[in-house]
Amino acid sequence: MKKAFLVVLMLSSSLIFAQDSISGSVSDENNNPIPGATIVVEGTNTGVVTDFDGNYQINASTGDQLTFSSLGFGSQTITVGNQNQINVTLMSSVDILDEVVVSGYQTQQRRSLSGAIGTVDTDEAFKTQVTNAAEALQGRVAGVQVTSGGGPGAAPIVRIRGYATTNDNSPLYVIDGIQTTDANVMRDINPKDIENISVLKDGAAAIYGARASNGVIVVTTKGGSYNMENTFEVDASYGISEVTRYPDMLNVQQHADMTWQSILNDGNSPSHPQYGSGPTPSVPVFLNVPMPSGPEYEGAGAKVSPNGTSWFDEIFDPASVTNVSLSASGGSEQGKFHLSANYLKQEGVIIHTGYERVSTRLNSEFKIGDKITITEHLNVTYDKEGTTSGNPIQNAAFSSPLVPVRDTNGNFAGTYSNSARVGIANNPVSDLSRGANDYNKNLRVIGDISMKWQITPELLFKTSAGVTMRDLNGRYFTALNPEHGEAISNNTLSEQSFRQDEWVVTNFLNYKNTFGDHTLDLLVGTEAQKDNYKGFGALRTNYLFEDPSFYLLSNGAGVPVISGASASSSSIFSLLGTANWSYGGKYFATATVRKDDTSRFANAESDAIFPSGSVAWLVSSEDWYDSSVFDTLKVRASYGELGNQQIGGSNLDVNISLLSEGSAFYAFGGSGGATAGANIATKGNPLLTWETMTSTNFALDMGFLDNKLTATIDVFSNETTGLVAQDTQKISTTAIDAAAPYTNLGSMKSTGFDLSLNYSDTTSSGVTYAINANATRAKNEVTELISEFYSGGSQRIGSMTRTSVGEPISYFYGRNVLGIFQTAAEVASHATQTGAGVGRFKYEDINNDGVINDNDRTKIGDPHPDLIFGVNLNLAYKNWDMSMFWNGSIGNDIFDYTALYYETPYFFNGNRSTAVLDSWSPSNTGAALPALSETTLNNEFSTSNSFFVRDGSYVRLRTLQIGYTLPDTFASKLGASSARVYYNGSNLLTLTDFTGLDPEVPRGGALDIGVYSAQYPTNSISSLGINIKF
Amino acid sequence: MKKILILLLSASILVACSDDFTEIDPVGSLSDASLQNATGVDLLLTGAYSVLDGMRNGGPGADWTKSGDNWWLDAISDDAHKGSTDGDQADLLLIELFQWDTTNPYFEGRWQALFAGVNRANAVIDLINNAANPSDFSVQKAQARFLRGHYNFEIQRMWVNVPYISDENYAASEFNQPNSGPIWSQIEADFSAAAGSLPTSRGGSYSEPGRPLASAARAYLGRTQLYQGKWSDALTSLESVINSGDYALNSDFSANFRSAGENSSEMIFAIQFASDGGQSPQGNRGGTLNMPIGSMTGGMCCGFYQPTLDLANAFQTDSNGLPLANWSTTDISNDYGVYETEAHTPHSGPLDPRIDFTVGRRGVDLNGFGPMSGKDNIRASFTDISGPFVNKKNLYTAGDDTNRGTGGWGEQRTGINYHILRYADVLLMAAEAAVESGNLETGRNYVNQVRARAKNGPRADASPNYVIDTYNSSWSDQAAARNAVRHERRVEMALEGHRLFDLRRWNIMVDALNTYISNEGRTITNFAVKANPVSAKHNALPIPLNAIDQSQGALSQNPGH
Repeated sequence: MKKAFLVVLMLSSSLIFAQDSISGSVSDENNNPIPGATIVVEGTNTGVVTDFDGNYQINASTGDQLTFSSLGFGSQTITVGNQNQINVTLMSSVDILDEVVVSGYQTQQRRSLSGAIGTVDTDEAFKTQVTNAAEALQGRVAGVQVTSGGGPGAAPIVRIRGYATTNDNSPLYVIDGIQTTDANVMRDINPKDIENISVLKDGAAAIYGARASNGVIVVTTKGGSYNMENTFEVDASYGISEVTRYPDMLNVQQHADMTWQSILNDGNSPSHPQYGSGPTPSVPVFLNVPMPSGPEYEGAGAKVSPNGTSWFDEIFDPASVTNVSLSASGGSEQGKFHLSANYLKQEGVIIHTGYERVSTRLNSEFKIGDKITITEHLNVTYDKEGTTSGNPIQNAAFSSPLVPVRDTNGNFAGTYSNSARVGIANNPVSDLSRGANDYNKNLRVIGDISMKWQITPELLFKTSAGVTMRDLNGRYFTALNPEHGEAISNNTLSEQSFRQDEWVVTNFLNYKNTFGDHTLDLLVGTEAQKDNYKGFGALRTNYLFEDPSFYLLSNGAGVPVISGASASSSSIFSLLGTANWSYGGKYFATATVRKDDTSRFANAESDAIFPSGSVAWLVSSEDWYDSSVFDTLKVRASYGELGNQQIGGSNLDVNISLLSEGSAFYAFGGSGGATAGANIATKGNPLLTWETMTSTNFALDMGFLDNKLTATIDVFSNETTGLVAQDTQKISTTAIDAAAPYTNLGSMKSTGFDLSLNYSDTTSSGVTYAINANATRAKNEVTELISEFYSGGSQRIGSMTRTSVGEPISYFYGRNVLGIFQTAAEVASHATQTGAGVGRFKYEDINNDGVINDNDRTKIGDPHPDLIFGVNLNLAYKNWDMSMFWNGSIGNDIFDYTALYYETPYFFNGNRSTAVLDSWSPSNTGAALPALSETTLNNEFSTSNSFFVRDGSYVRLRTLQIGYTLPDTFASKLGASSARVYYNGSNLLTLTDFTGLDPEVPRGGALDIGVYSAQYPTNSISSLGINIKF
Repeated sequence: MKKILILLLSASILVACSDDFTEIDPVGSLSDASLQNATGVDLLLTGAYSVLDGMRNGGPGADWTKSGDNWWLDAISDDAHKGSTDGDQADLLLIELFQWDTTNPYFEGRWQALFAGVNRANAVIDLINNAANPSDFSVQKAQARFLRGHYNFEIQRMWVNVPYISDENYAASEFNQPNSGPIWSQIEADFSAAAGSLPTSRGGSYSEPGRPLASAARAYLGRTQLYQGKWSDALTSLESVINSGDYALNSDFSANFRSAGENSSEMIFAIQFASDGGQSPQGNRGGTLNMPIGSMTGGMCCGFYQPTLDLANAFQTDSNGLPLANWSTTDISNDYGVYETEAHTPHSGPLDPRIDFTVGRRGVDLNGFGPMSGKDNIRASFTDISGPFVNKKNLYTAGDDTNRGTGGWGEQRTGINYHILRYADVLLMAAEAAVESGNLETGRNYVNQVRARAKNGPRADASPNYVIDTYNSSWSDQAAARNAVRHERRVEMALEGHRLFDLRRWNIMVDALNTYISNEGRTITNFAVKANPVSAKHNALPIPLNAIDQSQGALSQNPGH
């Protein structure tokens, strides 16, 4: 066998047909050269690319067909005759049907595509520097919703066509063939290296089988071109980011008055360690507190700022963003390459936070003889993420305005003593400052190597092996905080490290041929993937010096503690096949099947087959078609079954018991060492199996007005059966303290549409403009559950969400506030409500039993938007270009859990937002908030109710870009072929009624959607940059 | 080059063909099979003991909500205020003020911790039932039944109408059972069975003080009977413990709360807390908040679990050394409203010496840290409801480093054991059972044993005016006897997590607590203003809303909540 193979290989490299060299140029209709245009000898993998002057040279024989194509231009095929020179003019085209789309393991022209695959215009999306490649998806692809992840370096949360599972809704990422569900992978890729992003939204994703039900994002990186001059590109930008929205907080006088009124309303006589006693409060000059002991506090006092401390102003600070990318690419007849380096330094808008990244990439490809191509991608990224302990936003939201940032000696000020009644929040500035040296450092390597063997012109064999590896190392130091009312007495150093690696090996055969009007493209292959994880954490107390140079685990005086250790692996083995057929350029069909065998389920359930099929009819190519209305009309339909094995754990089918020091050891002697014990940590479910999603998609692609206006509408229905979630009703509160088993507990359906519209034109005066708009509606409904309902996670006010049949997943649930009681008569005539009173919330008696209690909870809001949309406007005139991109979300509610901290007396001595100025009083009967009080009366702020539910709709000016391309004469003086300077603004304007920090709510678990909990806010960035190509 | 290609090709095909590629076992954990042996029984049994402190695997609520020492349940009673400032642990403030929301994390935290205990015991029983020779594990099974009895007892006395999760339910994962009423008979059955199979003395492989003897099970059985008013059964059970000779009172009352005396003859069953120099995972994590603050104690925190004025008043005695008749309307002098820099004269009237092993008050030695300084040791301000005292039973003694825990904020994860049952408790329960059965002299004998120890033991401080004596003449009638026994129980067992349940089973909780609130308001005026009236519904904690929601309709709410 081996010998035979060798022979084949040798033959293949020695068989060179007699060929002529053909050269020529490719230009557009204005006779400008088109660099980078592709010329391919049909039926072979021979292809070249034009140089900067649009020239090319290729070996071809008489009778060969050469296809000339370039993005944005219609392609042309010319049969080689006797000539040695072929010059071609390509007509610019907005015909979306010519676009080349990566559909998974293959590429296809959009013309022949029958599934729902969205693509990102990467030229447009990455025209300026973005810090995270996933941002490119935001509002640019119909059906894709991207929510900022918050802090610098955080991965955005990507949802494709909304929610279709009770489980992880994150898509699968495929980076040059390497598959991962780790969304962080997108931040580790230099956006400037990305050639292509495709989003597989429907059954088309079935080629990725068991990991595909949340959609698949396929990223291809740049690789240079054959026969291309070496080019160099420099892109540098510098910007300033800041937080633009945060609540107005009470100043110190308002806080004093609010305190007084609350005490008076409760029928007590006001008295306060800081504000004195009597009819009116008096704001102190210095805090009335004992200072901590120690020489640094000698003679110090905590002086109250004139208006009180504005904590949001103290923790937010404009921050710089520096982003520099260098790249080089080129190619000869035998090889091509792209290499790049990127440096990003993003200071956080919250002081002492930030993110720094260095990434390098080398992509290269070379040919061995005529038939073998070797390709390699290697991406190494190192990043350092500043971490924060505690929640500085929450602390800023409820820190007392009386507390200064520092005392008169320059030490951090704090709450000193709880009896000082200046709240219990840590001084967020001191927390941030002391945590300035905390970090997570990541080293990530993503790389693969592959070989393509063109066995015959029709048959290709490809084998590839790829790996992604992440190595994390974190260090967190908890320093002493003598100024705090709950001062800790031991400082602690914690360290964490883990390594995660995933490898994949893929082999496939691809057969392409044309029989008359029939074209066939078949692919069969195998794929093996394995993920490994191993990590541990350790901590130690009692550090003599609070100095980062001293922070080693060996330097503590306390007993070293292993705080955790874990290891896990999972694997999948797959067989896959896909067949594309087309007839006459009019009829298209694709059939795909994938069989996955996974380690995640018990044997009987561990393999499954995921089929899909799609058809398309390019109506406008029919001879009889009358193009008076549409220039282009294409009808598509697809059906597919997709799996989801993305569930939290590796061995979910078996019970897992752990030797756990914290929860299972016991010191039978009452002192000294403990006896080891075990507890069941996780209940297994041997019956657990895949979630299966059935995706149905119908679509129309249309072009009007000479294809200046194109439109695509996809109508979809995704039905998921066997929804997997932890069955908290099985392991309920009266059960053993094991994590609930993952169980197939129901079905849901998500339906809606994606719509995108593009219009572009050039006016007679030479202004080129384009409008791209897209909108998505994805409404889901739970159709079946094995229990009546499931509750979301529980916070201080209990669970806020519920999932039940007939409703969307994770709707808000609680008491419904009808208004505020205005009179005693109104209280008396209403249902019996414990805690009722004038000025207090009046709850709806849902079950009409005359008593308000827990049985009067109901649906109080829906976190799912009616519509999400993006609008992109592009304008170019001579050397100037401008683009503006808006996106938004309409009709979704937010559960503002953070309001508990700054709109309610839950933490009485902390600060509140100015919203409380609109509290009920006899003279303000139309108030939004109930009468002030010292405690949370009447279940108002101790259980979930509609007070916390707010309209979350917003429209945001996501980016504004203005660019100027320097005149050629100027650029050439620089020795450059082109140079462009630009301004980029992101998140410059947000229109919303939401009063919290940010209406973009990062989504947590699928059963807790839309709960806002003081996350890092989205910030605006204004930057200037320059892009030079050599 | 071609050879490399071939290698690559063959390797890539080989990798994908391995048969057990998709069978991966968990790493670092125990499978069910690996536990089906004697080691497995011991591991799970230790796990069942481990959750005595409430520190279960995950679950809702901070450590202090699920604490095994019932500290926050004392804050409902007239023994303790939650402590610290009103805004600190606002959830607990609402409980102390009798605004009991069904979502309060304290209720759910304790509820889930106790059911974890029940089911960890069930896991042991189920494992033994399925062993080849269950009789090989009779001692282990008896311990598991003892523990299950304890967890169910706590559930029963807190929530009254409660579900019973049996080992059959456990084996079938049927955790949603109705709460149709009390489960006393099942609790009694566990203690009776444990009493029959547990060793009668320590030694050999059963020498660790943390494991119960047969007499401990009989003591707990007696307590269970007492809670049901089965006086003669209770007396029989408890006297069998007294007559067993297994236990005796420590000569020093306070030795029960020091490392040297915690596992002495008075200990019947205790949560064996152990502190260490690291994070003290076996220390009293649920009690982390419950240390006084102040410069003299160093880095302690957080000022919770403060004794009430009412409790301090109860230690007043008359000139005969017997409880002061009108103690509840007579306040001992205290420094409430006075800073440590201002003058204060300590109470000069006669006092039971146990006050100064229980209630930390200004001017009296604070567990060896020197005289308690007053306001400096109190976290609460004068507008908060928590009063002027600190808890001494819960605080480790200066120099008793074995019990000084690190971890958390500092040194609060103490190793001081929490007594689930101590001999003085058994004597007083026996006294109560005797008095209720009309056997007053027997009752007086048991009460006097407890008082004699207090009388003859060492004193906490030289200066106070301690006057105490035993009841040297017969009680006039059953009412007087009952009153004496109940009062003795209060002062002896103060701040040990039983007071609320004593008041409930005596059917006097509503009146007693309303009276307490108004009496306490003589000094802490804000407390009386803020507290809601106590009513019959407070005789049971509300079933946590999450428990009802997750039970698929099995659980229903207690009346009135």
